[in-house]
Amino acid sequence: MHTPRPTVFAAVACLALLGSCERRGGCTGDHCGTLVIAYAGEPDILLPPVSEFAATRDVTEPIFLKLADLGPSGNTVGDEDFQPQLAERWEWDTPTTLVFHLDPRAHWQDGQAVTAADVAFTYDVYTDTLVNSPFRSSLRQISAVTTRDSLTVVFRFRQRYPEMFYDAVYHMRIMPSHLLREVPRDQWRSTAFGRAPVGDGPYRFVAWKAGQSIELAADSTFFLGRPYIRRLIWRFTPDQQVAVTQLLAGDADAIEVLITPDNVQRACADPKLACYPYKGSAYGYVGFNLAAPGDTTKPHPLFADRDLRRALVLATDRERPLHNVFGELARVPPGPMSQLWWIWDPEIRELPYDSAQAARLLKRLGWIDSDGDGIRDKDGHALSFRLLVPTTSAIRRQYARLLQESFRTAGVDVQLDEVDFSVFNERARAGRFDALLNVWNTDPTPSSGFPQTWTKAGFGRSNYGRYFNPQVDQLVDRAVSAAANRDQARRAWRSAFEMLNQDAPGIFLFATENVAAVSKRFTDVTIRPDSWLALVRSWRVPSDRLTDRDRVER
Amino acid sequence: MIVWVVRRVAASIAIVWAVVTLTFFVIHAARGSPFLPESSQSVDPETIVRITNQFGLDRPLWVQYVLYLRNLATGNLGESFALRRPVADALADAIPNTFVLALAALLIDFAVGLALGIYQAVRERSVGDIVLGNIALFVNSMPTFWLGLVLLLVFAQRLHAFPVGGISDPVLCPRLDSAACLGDFVWHLTLPALTLGLVGAAGTARFQRAAMLEVIRQEYVRTARAKGLQERRVLLVHALRNALLPFITLVGLAFPFLLTGAVLVETVYAWPGMGQLAVRAILQRDYYVVTGAALVTSTMVVLGNLIADLLYAVADPRIRVRGAGA
Repeated sequence: MHTPRPTVFAAVACLALLGSCERRGGCTGDHCGTLVIAYAGEPDILLPPVSEFAATRDVTEPIFLKLADLGPSGNTVGDEDFQPQLAERWEWDTPTTLVFHLDPRAHWQDGQAVTAADVAFTYDVYTDTLVNSPFRSSLRQISAVTTRDSLTVVFRFRQRYPEMFYDAVYHMRIMPSHLLREVPRDQWRSTAFGRAPVGDGPYRFVAWKAGQSIELAADSTFFLGRPYIRRLIWRFTPDQQVAVTQLLAGDADAIEVLITPDNVQRACADPKLACYPYKGSAYGYVGFNLAAPGDTTKPHPLFADRDLRRALVLATDRERPLHNVFGELARVPPGPMSQLWWIWDPEIRELPYDSAQAARLLKRLGWIDSDGDGIRDKDGHALSFRLLVPTTSAIRRQYARLLQESFRTAGVDVQLDEVDFSVFNERARAGRFDALLNVWNTDPTPSSGFPQTWTKAGFGRSNYGRYFNPQVDQLVDRAVSAAANRDQARRAWRSAFEMLNQDAPGIFLFATENVAAVSKRFTDVTIRPDSWLALVRSWRVPSDRLTDRDRVER
Repeated sequence: MIVWVVRRVAASIAIVWAVVTLTFFVIHAARGSPFLPESSQSVDPETIVRITNQFGLDRPLWVQYVLYLRNLATGNLGESFALRRPVADALADAIPNTFVLALAALLIDFAVGLALGIYQAVRERSVGDIVLGNIALFVNSMPTFWLGLVLLLVFAQRLHAFPVGGISDPVLCPRLDSAACLGDFVWHLTLPALTLGLVGAAGTARFQRAAMLEVIRQEYVRTARAKGLQERRVLLVHALRNALLPFITLVGLAFPFLLTGAVLVETVYAWPGMGQLAVRAILQRDYYVVTGAALVTSTMVVLGNLIADLLYAVADPRIRVRGAGA
């Protein structure tokens, strides 16, 4: 019988060997590093006005600049803590008129200067109903953006409020009008520019291989200083665990968030990697539906009762599941808030874990175990509800099981409705649930997200459980529109949260703490919690740590 | 023969249309909304309503179906909601990757499967036959995603002998423009192709062993031996040629197996092919990508079977006669 020739195997082995070998390149000095970022997911389009995905935000962050950006403090009130980007300076002509002076050195990567007309065009795009930008509502307090000359642009606001400057600069990345003016507004979501953008930031777009990677290269002429890292490459995977494995195997240099304690332990124990904890922008909670499932005109048979909701909150030990699921990677929030918010305050009053008080309250409400089956009942009805959970989130599924067990010991039956994420969202917004285990990723400030999720303004939007307390709404309005006085705003927010906590519209379970991991080759790594790559321009690889991958020329 | 071919082609088109239609209505009937990120973060309902109207998904389903067919007739597969690009472009990016993976797996499947099957048949009931038979049964019983995870864990994560996933090294080989990058591509391809190919090879080996055993007991093989031909020539020229006839059917059947297997393998190895594209599209309710993927997949499967039937008809005149008479 004919046997396979060894040369066939040798040829395959040689090819594989060639592939596994790294080639020596020529780059030397301080501007040679290559940062490969492992990422679970992929951007939909590289056009900030039409995408709210985190992946798009991360990749476009180094391509397109804002007028100014958040400073290290993360303070969103006033303008003192903001740092210039496209605008070299600004001043207030009147309390509601803000004038920006653009940096004359700023230019697009095709050589054209960045002008005031670009800023006015950008505002026009972000607020155009045909473009349907997800950030349009965040700009509602700005009445007009006009140009005074080619480098001066004027923002006019409808009223004065503490976060006017934040609204003017944070949501919009300035777009090149000379390249996008001809694109019909209703076709922005699929314009070719979004797959090969031309920006004005420290990095320029090089290539996007669908399903594989995106590559950016440093713009050596960037007017605010040449970036140290020469290339940024996002390597996309369909799964977070594959992304972590790529990092541990050395196929990637960095990851934004490790998510589970196990991943954190493995990555931080790796001598090649450094871990960087930073405040998370997400919080998770069990939200009660105060309206009947699928019929918002009727009250929910269980959760319309404020005392019953309070009893369920009192019966929940939030610390134990938190440690089981997150270890040290999250904290129990003092209400519906992320750790990123400046109003984070563990001293905010909330309902404690008190199973005895919960049992007394349930008994007083008539919920007792009359038939000895371990589940409380009243008028022949068991104290039972269904908890909606997305199957796509391992963390929420784990939490749901722990809560189910915890409620069972309190005599409450919880049935889990595990559905895929798409169905979860559909049922949540239609109000077809008893309770849901939800997570919100927040902006750096409570002023924009909180009203949409926990006040009447959020009905039909993100206030899925239709919680409404007019006094809370008033306090939130006061906090949002308070004069630029942080203490006054903080007091109003605190009162709002304490009142909301007493109403118990949900059980606030966790507020995440993120941990990023970056190869120890990289130094000067600073992470801004609201956007972890915002300061990547200042990261560097010292010349004595450069590898062949950093030096390679393509 | 021509009538038979025309009938088979017409039946193939009807099957593809039925698959596309079924997929269209099933994916629309599935609960949930498109336009959601892959992360588990909730989305403002206003955003979903806004985009639903923008893409015309608020129209009656039958209207959407008629529009879809009309566009399909002009070669327009629609626009992906999640990828923000034409479905045809997304498929064009993914198809070559899946095709290369399937081809490599097919080579492993048939090369290893044929060799093992012949070896086992020739040494029937020997220790080697029994051991290889059991190993083949074991490998054939393994789910592809499980084998993929094991190979990934051992050879990529522990031994660092292969990359963890992807199609190429984005730093060294963003383009396939040198021998080194071809090597890098082969290096990335090895584990996913092995995963898919080995499971198939185990089945092929069992199939080929049985076919070969049946043939080598035939009179003409005994005659060949009696004429004093070398054993190698008897087996490889006289026996194998006839034992390969049912193998053609296997080629047709291998297509669906490889394509369904690719869905899982591509996900495990982050291989940017049709499988990964379809899985993501299903989770995101990206209707036109799902339907487009079904169209391409069913076309490939039907085409594979059609080619197998044609080859079979060419190889075995009895089939042509029966087909023509039917």
